[in-house]
Amino acid sequence: MSRSLNPLDTKVSRRQFAQGTALATGAFFINTKFSRSMLAENPTSPFTTPWMQPLAFAPWKIPIPFGQQYVTGEPIDEARHQRYDEFRPVKFYEMQACEQLCRPHPQLGFSALFTYDGCVPGPTFMMRYGEPTHCRISNCLPAAPVGFGNCDVTTHVHNGHHAPESDGGPWNIYSPGHYHDHHWPNIYATDITTGQPDKLEAKGTLWYHDHCLDFTSQNVYRGLTGFWLLHDDLDSGNENDPNPDAFRLPSGVPDGKRVKNRYDIPLVFTDRNFDANGILTMDLMNMDGILGDKFLVNGRVQPYFEVERRKYRFRLLDGGISRAYDFWLSNGMTFQYLANDGNMLPVPMERQNVKLHVAERADIVIDFSRLPASTTTLYLVNRAEQTNGRAPTGNTLPMNQSPQLLKFIIRPETGVPDNSRVPTFLRAQPEMNVPVVGERTFALTRGNGMWQVNGQIFDQTRCDAAVKINTAEIWNFSTAGGWSHPLHNHCEEPRYLSINGVPVAGTTLQGRKDVHPLYPGDQIQVYIKFRDWLGKYPMHCHNLIHEDHAMMVRWDITP
Amino acid sequence: MAQDEAPRDVQRSVDNHAPQARDVSSPAEPTQEQTLRRRKAFGSMLLPFAALLSGCTTQKTQNAMARLKKLEFDDEPGATHMEPDGTRTFRNHELVDQDGNVVRFNDDLIRGKVFAATFMYVQCKGICLDMTTHMAGAYDLLKPVMDNPVQFYSFSLAEDSPEDLKQYMIDHGIYGRPGWRYFSGPKSAIKDIRWAFGFFERDEELDGNLNGHTGMARFGNHRIDKWSSCPALGNPLLTARSMLAVIPPDRRPRVPGVEREPDATSRKIPNYQPRKPLGGEPL
Repeated sequence: MSRSLNPLDTKVSRRQFAQGTALATGAFFINTKFSRSMLAENPTSPFTTPWMQPLAFAPWKIPIPFGQQYVTGEPIDEARHQRYDEFRPVKFYEMQACEQLCRPHPQLGFSALFTYDGCVPGPTFMMRYGEPTHCRISNCLPAAPVGFGNCDVTTHVHNGHHAPESDGGPWNIYSPGHYHDHHWPNIYATDITTGQPDKLEAKGTLWYHDHCLDFTSQNVYRGLTGFWLLHDDLDSGNENDPNPDAFRLPSGVPDGKRVKNRYDIPLVFTDRNFDANGILTMDLMNMDGILGDKFLVNGRVQPYFEVERRKYRFRLLDGGISRAYDFWLSNGMTFQYLANDGNMLPVPMERQNVKLHVAERADIVIDFSRLPASTTTLYLVNRAEQTNGRAPTGNTLPMNQSPQLLKFIIRPETGVPDNSRVPTFLRAQPEMNVPVVGERTFALTRGNGMWQVNGQIFDQTRCDAAVKINTAEIWNFSTAGGWSHPLHNHCEEPRYLSINGVPVAGTTLQGRKDVHPLYPGDQIQVYIKFRDWLGKYPMHCHNLIHEDHAMMVRWDITP
Repeated sequence: MAQDEAPRDVQRSVDNHAPQARDVSSPAEPTQEQTLRRRKAFGSMLLPFAALLSGCTTQKTQNAMARLKKLEFDDEPGATHMEPDGTRTFRNHELVDQDGNVVRFNDDLIRGKVFAATFMYVQCKGICLDMTTHMAGAYDLLKPVMDNPVQFYSFSLAEDSPEDLKQYMIDHGIYGRPGWRYFSGPKSAIKDIRWAFGFFERDEELDGNLNGHTGMARFGNHRIDKWSSCPALGNPLLTARSMLAVIPPDRRPRVPGVEREPDATSRKIPNYQPRKPLGGEPL
């Protein structure tokens, strides 16, 4: 068996590099035939043996030492940021987008991926409320990469409550040889009625990804994603926290190869296609949505993960292009569902499954100590049937026919006490106490093969909804036809009032949401506040193929 | 109108395969069966020579032959083939432009080109008029780079004659603009091109419905296999920007009025040394 190359390792031996370069130059796309039905319905990637490699983790992003200059040398232009002086950064990060040879499975080839800091997924940002940060992201991608992916980038922190100039929207694109400064103040959204930070607005599981206009799907497919986690006094990331109010959930996010005694596990699920040589390939002419036939977790195809007999927190992220998931454990056992889109629910909910559409997140706690001693393996499976990029069929696959994504290998009892817990009460939802000043409708339709919102085609120079800061509105989202659209709005998180007229109380959708999974025919009504930042933000379908084909609107927060 | 076929040298060596059915035939031309029969006879005559020749041809030529053979006779419309250099080959349909010039789709319109492609037909009472106005607006913005390097292609979905296409262009004030051409060809060829660009419906009836035809434009830069798409309606400025976005930034021509407004918070990295790309020298 050939030696495995950790996709997260940036070091490559000379021989491996030569092999990889040969593939990248000579055989990057060799002998691939694209036919229209090929990629969506029929598996074409080479066979890979499952469970050959352990689950991999990105390293933590380390701030640059205090007092040290950015490598790029230029001082920060503070005047370009809103409220910079109010939230002066205490931590500074520097990251670069660059090309890197990676192999997601030992039986596949090396693909030249786009990465943050040379790893896929990119480094994990460990953020904390009350610690404003500043991050400089340099674009060091090749000037003219062949094939899918564009060398112009912009990095968006998904669900960040950030000013538009730091939001990484599709209009903040910059080319190789340039950098972009992001001011991430890490503040709770303000309670409009009191003018104070509203701690109920706390977020937890966020992620960052490229957002280049017209090319987001290609750049994300080629690797530009990573986790961005936020902690506060309650969700403190310490299961031994002496603070009596702290949740003390299973804690410890793995840091690269440092995985021992780490029980807070971010998992990004993606699906990809590979050509006959095992090189990553993408159907660039697909207008519906792309499905891959290989399932990757944290950048590796079907890895295994050794777990102790105790509680683990998993942060599930659907980082795919167009695929929706319905996660189950292979024995059908239940787990605690804590957070939807990174936002804690009022109380944990016992669930057997989690449904996620693209860009949605779910935090769950699985207690492996509940398993009988005879159980040594368990699988995380996807039971959502989906045959094309338009929408899942709505059918639930039988357990034994569902693709297995991740194998848990359960270690024998160690006797080490598990101090973590799942509290009975998590976080109340922010109140809908601001009077509603308006109601808008966003109807997602398709005509003549073009995406339209309210019958209009996207124009980034036109504001489709100008809202007033420190107000609230009711927005209605609807979709028609046989399409599903995971709609995502930047900056603010609405709360759902109803889905198809049915209130969401008691469901997993009762919390704040930034991705609104509209399945065919759905209508979602939400309550949304506008706070803290002025400027233009996009709202778009997070089926990235739809997004790239202009399924987007621009909305502005105005004074 | 001539049917789509592989280049002649390839055709000879792969003649045991049936060519694709033609959609448009004039009475003066031989029927499909006659052509087939003739070709088979011709092919069998050539077989010994082909065998002899095959020993002399280079591996590269043989590979090219095999590839084209596969592409040419694939049943499914819209198939493309990736080359070792990362570019892609489309079926080499024979088309005719508004002036009656015969062109080959892959060889003349795709290979080495930077282009925007839209679909239309002369009698369209739907979106075509708006699309033409829109693309004319984008053309005006891109005037300094039109024809070199940017090309606009419009493909007729209804087998419009070159004369009709020319009249359509005259009527809309776009005839004679360098770098913008209209093309017609057999319905099967245009369907294949449309499918290859991703503009198709899974429902056969919907796919064939001319009234609902696509309003999307396909942008391509063949040399680096860069592809994107956006509606050919709305704001022409965005179409012009999307057009230029398929050209790498270091080669992108500066077109006043089209360039993105400078991003407020991005800056040049001082003394930036580009990393050598893993895929060899940039094209």
